[in-house]
Amino acid sequence: MTAYILNLVVLISIYAILSTTLNFIIGYAGIFSLAHAVFFGIGAYTSAFVAMNLTPSFFVAIPIAMVLAALTSLALALPALRVRGEYFVAASLGLQMLAVTLFSEWKGFTGGIGGVIGIPPVEIFGFALVKPWHFLILTLVCLALVIAIIQRLVHTSFGRSLKSIRDSESAALAAGKNITVIKTLSVVLSSSLTALAGGLYAFYMAFINVESFMLATSVLVMAMVIIGGTGTILGPIVGAALLMLLPGALSYLSFLPQTEIGSIQQIIYGSAMVLLMIYRPGGIVSPKTRGEAA
Amino acid sequence: MLLLQLILNGLQVGAIYALTAAGFSLIFGSTKIFHFAHGATFTIAAYLFHYALTNLGLHWTLGVAMAAGGAVLFGILLDRFMYAPIQRHEGSFFTVFVASFGIGIVVENVIGMVFGRSFISVSTSLSRSVELLPDLYVSPLVGLAVLTSLVCFVAVHMFLMHTHAGMALRALSENTELVKTFGLSPRRLSAYAFALGSVLVVPAAIFTASSSGLNPAVGHHVMLISLAATIVGGIGSIRGAAFAGLLIGMVENVALWQVGTQWSEALTFAVLFFFIIFRPSGFFGRAAVS
Amino acid sequence: MNMQNTAYDTTAAQPVTEQETLLKVRNLQMDFGGLKAIQDVSMDLRAGIVTTLVGPNGAGKTTLFNMITGHLKPTAGEVEWLGDSLLGKPPWKIARQGIARTFQDLRLFTHMTVEENILTVMEQGGWLWQSGGMSAKTARQERVASILERTGLKDKARVRAIDLAYAERKFLCMARIMATDSRLWLLDEPASGLDPNSYGLFLELLRSEVANGITVCIIEHNLDIVVNISDRIAFLDQGRLLADGLPDEILNNPELAAIYFGER
Ligand SMILES: Nc1ncnc2c1ncn2[C@@H]1O[C@H](COP(=O)(O)OP(=O)(O)OP(=O)(O)O)[C@@H](O)[C@H]1O
Ligand SMILES: [Mg+2]
Repeated sequence: MTAYILNLVVLISIYAILSTTLNFIIGYAGIFSLAHAVFFGIGAYTSAFVAMNLTPSFFVAIPIAMVLAALTSLALALPALRVRGEYFVAASLGLQMLAVTLFSEWKGFTGGIGGVIGIPPVEIFGFALVKPWHFLILTLVCLALVIAIIQRLVHTSFGRSLKSIRDSESAALAAGKNITVIKTLSVVLSSSLTALAGGLYAFYMAFINVESFMLATSVLVMAMVIIGGTGTILGPIVGAALLMLLPGALSYLSFLPQTEIGSIQQIIYGSAMVLLMIYRPGGIVSPKTRGEAA
Repeated sequence: MLLLQLILNGLQVGAIYALTAAGFSLIFGSTKIFHFAHGATFTIAAYLFHYALTNLGLHWTLGVAMAAGGAVLFGILLDRFMYAPIQRHEGSFFTVFVASFGIGIVVENVIGMVFGRSFISVSTSLSRSVELLPDLYVSPLVGLAVLTSLVCFVAVHMFLMHTHAGMALRALSENTELVKTFGLSPRRLSAYAFALGSVLVVPAAIFTASSSGLNPAVGHHVMLISLAATIVGGIGSIRGAAFAGLLIGMVENVALWQVGTQWSEALTFAVLFFFIIFRPSGFFGRAAVS
Repeated sequence: MNMQNTAYDTTAAQPVTEQETLLKVRNLQMDFGGLKAIQDVSMDLRAGIVTTLVGPNGAGKTTLFNMITGHLKPTAGEVEWLGDSLLGKPPWKIARQGIARTFQDLRLFTHMTVEENILTVMEQGGWLWQSGGMSAKTARQERVASILERTGLKDKARVRAIDLAYAERKFLCMARIMATDSRLWLLDEPASGLDPNSYGLFLELLRSEVANGITVCIIEHNLDIVVNISDRIAFLDQGRLLADGLPDEILNNPELAAIYFGER
């Protein structure tokens, strides 16, 4: 039982990092990415690759993964953010689909469809984290760090610039803000922190394959952010916890066809997104409704 | 011969992409609603057609009618009961996109639960290919797809150019102020846009169901194509979206000469990205307004 | 920051027509599909004075602003700022050259506080952090406080823009533009819908900024404001500049009055 709970908490924390980093661009910069799972995947595959071919050291594998994710996101964001918001949605959807193909085909790096097996436990200063609760501590520390970084950023001039762009792009332009650069920077920051979650995931599972990095994951994380509440610190974490607990809770309802739990879960959060947008666009954690036509 | 074969396939796929993209572009252009659930409309139409023929054993004309009815109904209901309430209180890109996306997830999974998640395809007598020239297999569907697209485009063109409602729709995409002079309410026009835009996916849904087949997740692919074509063609230009859809269909198929089918989405992405970098306003784009 | 302003105090004494031209607009044209929103408009904005842009609804006034600030790309024509062309420059570069604007539909940063709305306008340079360190930061905060004081928004500093009353929103637009350090202000109906009280405060504010050397081009329907503050008036109708001259000439022209009042 404790093993079950431990596992759940680690996974919730990893997903909370994902939703927090996605919230940074959705909730503060007003950028909609359908490619979050791509950067999660880059983080996971890169960490796995480094761990298996170079060193399982946390402080080597994770930074390399973060840099790689940052570079990829830069290549996507710089051109796509020059133009209207819809372009980024389209380009990120395209990237997500392309990435799934790449992840399944590039056998040397990702192991193809079969994935990567036998990723060694992560080491911190030569100390291998083999016990689940070691890993729990590492994950919680990382989550706290990510929250702290984002919380800090939001309250700087950079954070204000982001919010001003979210609220009115044209007024931000008229105030002399180079919105392409600011938005791109936010995507790059968010993606590199996402890769951290990917690295944690790879080390924790010791096995990864493309299933975890498909569009469905991007959609799940987006649902976490939106249902929890965009533009708040707590919202995405609440959203991550809720949606991660949902499958477990559903399996208690014995009248539901157990083979369809996955679909039922998606139907629930799909409907929740629709109803929230009609009745409470700010999500669960929100003082008041958010947003207005810019 | 292979190349000719691929070009013909490209023509078929391109023709139906063109229709789907034109539908999305029409809705987006005139109502400014980012109708991400356009892919769901496609899925519904395709599965209704499949259901009518395979499960009910109906004649294909009835199948087409069911698919069209379902698509139009779905579009209009969404407009009335989802987009309208959202737009009444805010209607930002954020809320519209998320709701539209959410309904897409619901449709995908409901269909998955009802019909299963595996690939389906409807076989009709037309699906069978005939050897037109040595080594050149052509199914009558190719000609039919191209023909249907042409007919649809002519019909849409006539509607937009020569009917009162059509002119009002065009005016709506150019300039909201102008619409008032047509004496039609924006809500009514919005319903027209959704009906017309949604019905345009029907031929595409039916041809896809009868040729390459589909699964419940096809909506995402349809959206990628529609979005890419809308951008490549130039936002707000229906003609542009249609040309871009054709281009993407061609590129996807002709490229099979060199690469495997799994790369078709990568190619769509490449075309899209090329335009985003080098010509963000698209084929027929007007000056981007910020 | 205020050196610029004092430098321009002297110009106020010169006769209106001899002042330096800040902004030149030449043969500007804007087509939206078939609609010709601006046709062959040429005009100058001279330093230190208030030019009022008047004209019936849909005349193209806002469109003219949008082209100057780079929010719209003109179909044809030329816009020059201190002798350099602005065409093709992105709006944020144009803004940094010293042209600020307000929007007819306000476009406040709705989910930020009043204070943040003003502060973020001052933080236009720099990405992750601002230059100048602590002292610059304190200076910015002091300036925000003074702007809040002058626009009567002192008590609302921590209120989100979306929660403000109408008049307060209009003043926040003014507060934001005051935070820009620009030489030229383009104001799009900044006083529309104000109650008499706020209206008095607005006039006072505008006068003192003009006295500090800010050049203003203002779009206004309210004749009282037009008469009160204009040094020059430009009259736009159906995309054409019908007249551009001293207030007396324009206001006493019966043909213009017929167009203006006939349409409303
Ligand atoms: N981005 C745009 N796309 C299409 N048409 C536009 C656009 N902006 C303005 N127009 C049209 O151009 C014409 C001039 O508009 P503009 O907003 O410049 O008028 P205005 O003089 O500011 O009027 P008002 O006093 O109502 O603010 C109008 O017919 C308007 O509908
Ligand atoms: Mg106007």
